[in-house]
Amino acid sequence: MSLIALILLPLLGGVAALFAARLGNNAERWLSVGVLGIGLVVLVAACLGGSPDPRWLAFSRTPWAPSLGVQLLFAVDGLSAAMLALSLGLGMVAVFTSWQTNENSGLFHAALLWTVAASNGVFMSFDLLVLAFFWELMVVPSFLLIALWGHGAREASAMKFLIFNAVAGLGLLGAVFWLGASAPIVTFDAFELAKLARPAGVQTWLLAGFALAFVVKLSVPPFHAWLPDAHTDAPTAGSILLAGLLLKTGAYGLFRFPAMLFPEGYLALAPVGLVLGSVGALYGAVMACGQTDAKRLVAYTSVAHMSIVLMGVSGGVHFALMGAAVEMVGHAFSASLLFFLIGAVYDRVGTRDLRDLGGLQRTAPRFAAVFALGFSAVLAMPGTANFLGEALVITGMFQVNWIYAAIVLTALVVSVVYATRLLKEVVFGEPGPKPVTQDLGSRELSIAVVLGSATLLFGLLPQLLMTPFTPAVDAVLASLEAVRR
Amino acid sequence: MTLAVLPLGLIGLAAVVAMLLAPRGPAAAPRLAAAAGLVAAALVVLVRLPAPPAPIPPLLADDGLARFGTLVACLSALAVLGFGTARREGPALIAIVALGAAALAGAVHVTSLLLGLEIASLALVGLVVLPLTPKSLEAGYKYLLPGAAGSAALLMGAGLAYAGTGRLDLAAFHGSGSMAALATALLLAGLAFKLSLVPFHLWAPDLYEGAPPATAALAGSAAKAAVVIAILRLDAIVPAQPLWHQGLALLAIASVLLGNLAALRQPSLVRVIGYSSVAHSGYIAAMLSCGIGAAPAALLFYIAAYLPALIAALLVAASLGEAATITSLRGLAWRSPLAGATLALALASLAGLPVAAGFLAKIFLVGTLVGAEAWPLLAAVVIASGLGLFVYFRYFIVLFARDGCVVLHSPPPARAVMAVCTAALLVFGLYPGPLFGWLVLATR
Repeated sequence: MSLIALILLPLLGGVAALFAARLGNNAERWLSVGVLGIGLVVLVAACLGGSPDPRWLAFSRTPWAPSLGVQLLFAVDGLSAAMLALSLGLGMVAVFTSWQTNENSGLFHAALLWTVAASNGVFMSFDLLVLAFFWELMVVPSFLLIALWGHGAREASAMKFLIFNAVAGLGLLGAVFWLGASAPIVTFDAFELAKLARPAGVQTWLLAGFALAFVVKLSVPPFHAWLPDAHTDAPTAGSILLAGLLLKTGAYGLFRFPAMLFPEGYLALAPVGLVLGSVGALYGAVMACGQTDAKRLVAYTSVAHMSIVLMGVSGGVHFALMGAAVEMVGHAFSASLLFFLIGAVYDRVGTRDLRDLGGLQRTAPRFAAVFALGFSAVLAMPGTANFLGEALVITGMFQVNWIYAAIVLTALVVSVVYATRLLKEVVFGEPGPKPVTQDLGSRELSIAVVLGSATLLFGLLPQLLMTPFTPAVDAVLASLEAVRR
Repeated sequence: MTLAVLPLGLIGLAAVVAMLLAPRGPAAAPRLAAAAGLVAAALVVLVRLPAPPAPIPPLLADDGLARFGTLVACLSALAVLGFGTARREGPALIAIVALGAAALAGAVHVTSLLLGLEIASLALVGLVVLPLTPKSLEAGYKYLLPGAAGSAALLMGAGLAYAGTGRLDLAAFHGSGSMAALATALLLAGLAFKLSLVPFHLWAPDLYEGAPPATAALAGSAAKAAVVIAILRLDAIVPAQPLWHQGLALLAIASVLLGNLAALRQPSLVRVIGYSSVAHSGYIAAMLSCGIGAAPAALLFYIAAYLPALIAALLVAASLGEAATITSLRGLAWRSPLAGATLALALASLAGLPVAAGFLAKIFLVGTLVGAEAWPLLAAVVIASGLGLFVYFRYFIVLFARDGCVVLHSPPPARAVMAVCTAALLVFGLYPGPLFGWLVLATR
């Protein structure tokens, strides 16, 4: 039951925030923080509470619409718990980041909380119809965040985001409905559906439907066209949720469901994933080098990193899968940190153009220090969680085919180019025409410290992530092992 | 005489009383009389839901489809009464439309089919022209003439079928040979007129724009649902003709694509809803062409999800008066949260996104097409759904603009209908079990 609260709390909290905004005194902000904080407590309690099945930390099954074969089937293991914690935590960060957003603040916080609620639903649903519901639900509040509080051509970018993701979602909807309706008794229970045998060709087609939705959300080229625009034009909180949560739902979906439901389809399509991922990793890194808008630059680094995650997920070996899972967490913190910092720069000087910025270390030293940490994370400096993730993926790629490992390594070299360029243009050099004179305030500094130290914490103590992720990785390997034999 | 005829009698009685009250007495009297009759009829249907069928041979059936159609007719007519009408004759005509739709939903004979259709269509023509402005008269002609052409095609088809089989019940259409093929083609064309499927759709956008939004809502809800039910009944008989499903599929592809394309840059909300009704008829035809008639619960759910969205959107347009354009809607959500939330939810439902009921409807649609392996149709629906997102969310964004100055006139009944439609969209979207379970039972 407590797992349902992880969805209901932010969902109803969002409705309450609509009205709380009228009270003044930042009521809606504190309400949002409170709701997300309670969510974290509930998550910890649920995971410690134990479940009948040792595979899962928490498990709950509630009948919902028996006539449709739909139930509320939630299960949380280490991977899901990490993603849920990320979702609630980054939600809080997003609230604190936009403490100054005053226009229609009620709806803003409602949209924020609804995004968190929907992604929580994705991270723990094992009833596929419910999964599809939350999958599509996620798009609407994020659309509002971009369209109403964004910058530049925000309405066009929001529309692009909506159409790409909702149309790709049709692949998931169609495949899910087909799966459920073709079962002997109509059900959308992923555990039951995983037991049914299907011909390899059918599995491949169904997986293609699932993967379409996931890969578009993950924004791996050529399905990435929405991401640079949406990231660039979104408000800072929207960018944090997009990079930290929405991209992760795609990665999570690819991690969890293909091997579980369609092991033979997975083996058939894995080469496609590896090729798409390696092309995307190079493409994203090269594109990032050529950007002048700092936010767009970071958006392209997301394309590159998510492509590496796709390679890891498609690798089908222990190191690659573990690396993909760690990279999901690492990228969530590093990308959020950079989006937050660039947002703070933009709030001060009204530009994100690299040519106009510079000399941050002279005018705002604290700012510069945190920025440098963010860059190190993006270029996967040892000590950051990103390094761990990418190193594991590369190790795994050597087991698959050394060519893929070589491509990831090349992409990493290119990432040094764009990260040092960003570092040079923003942090060092002469102050530009619009120098940042105001250093980070205490609210901003604490956000930056939390995000930065999380990156370092998981980079220096990798067992904090790798131990809880092991059951999920083993489950993928076990289902693949069953068909490889 | 069975109880099955009681709802029809009650609606008819309400129409007569409302007509008698129209010339004199308090202004609200006709509306109240019509509403009372419709509520009573809906209650009778609800009470009789578990009762075994008591058909009235050879004209009317009393199965789940008929009950669903009668309920939809009563509820949408009630919602439309909440809009308020321009003249005192309105409520009587609204009740007559409901009567025709309810009869059509039960029709198992060519006579009752045509009678139901004509009762509903002619009363709708009256409602369209009722404001007696040049624009409404034009819209009335535009509705009357294609409608008459459609009826003529139906009648001709029925005549040919009678010539071939010598029967006038719907089984008359179960034949083979060139005569039966021609009869099926005419039947299909006639029904496509009524359902506003491309290329027989030209009247629909004009009707939605020219007629009062209340009338458009009634034409799009009660009348259309009854026509779909009539098609479902024929679907159990006609598919001996390959033409039937292939024809429906072709009409569906044309309708979903053209309906959404034409709506892309429309500045007027009612016109968008008009084209959207063409597109949604296309989605319904797509499901029908995949043989969903064998287990129509999903299709009926689609209708139950579509109607509140349609009615809600038109109701908000009606509250804005003449000027329901994309610019005049700016900032609606801030000026009038109820109307804004209602329209936002309705647009999300029409686009097929959660939490509105349209999401599940879209799953049924896509799932049906995937299950039937109808790939060309699926491709058309995927493209149309992408276009549709743009169409609806162009308006969706505008609702939350900060610079609007909307003026809204919505009397308490209209606000109540908005609230009910919103609640229906949310309940069907979030807790669809009971409704779907009943639909499965009713159509078994």
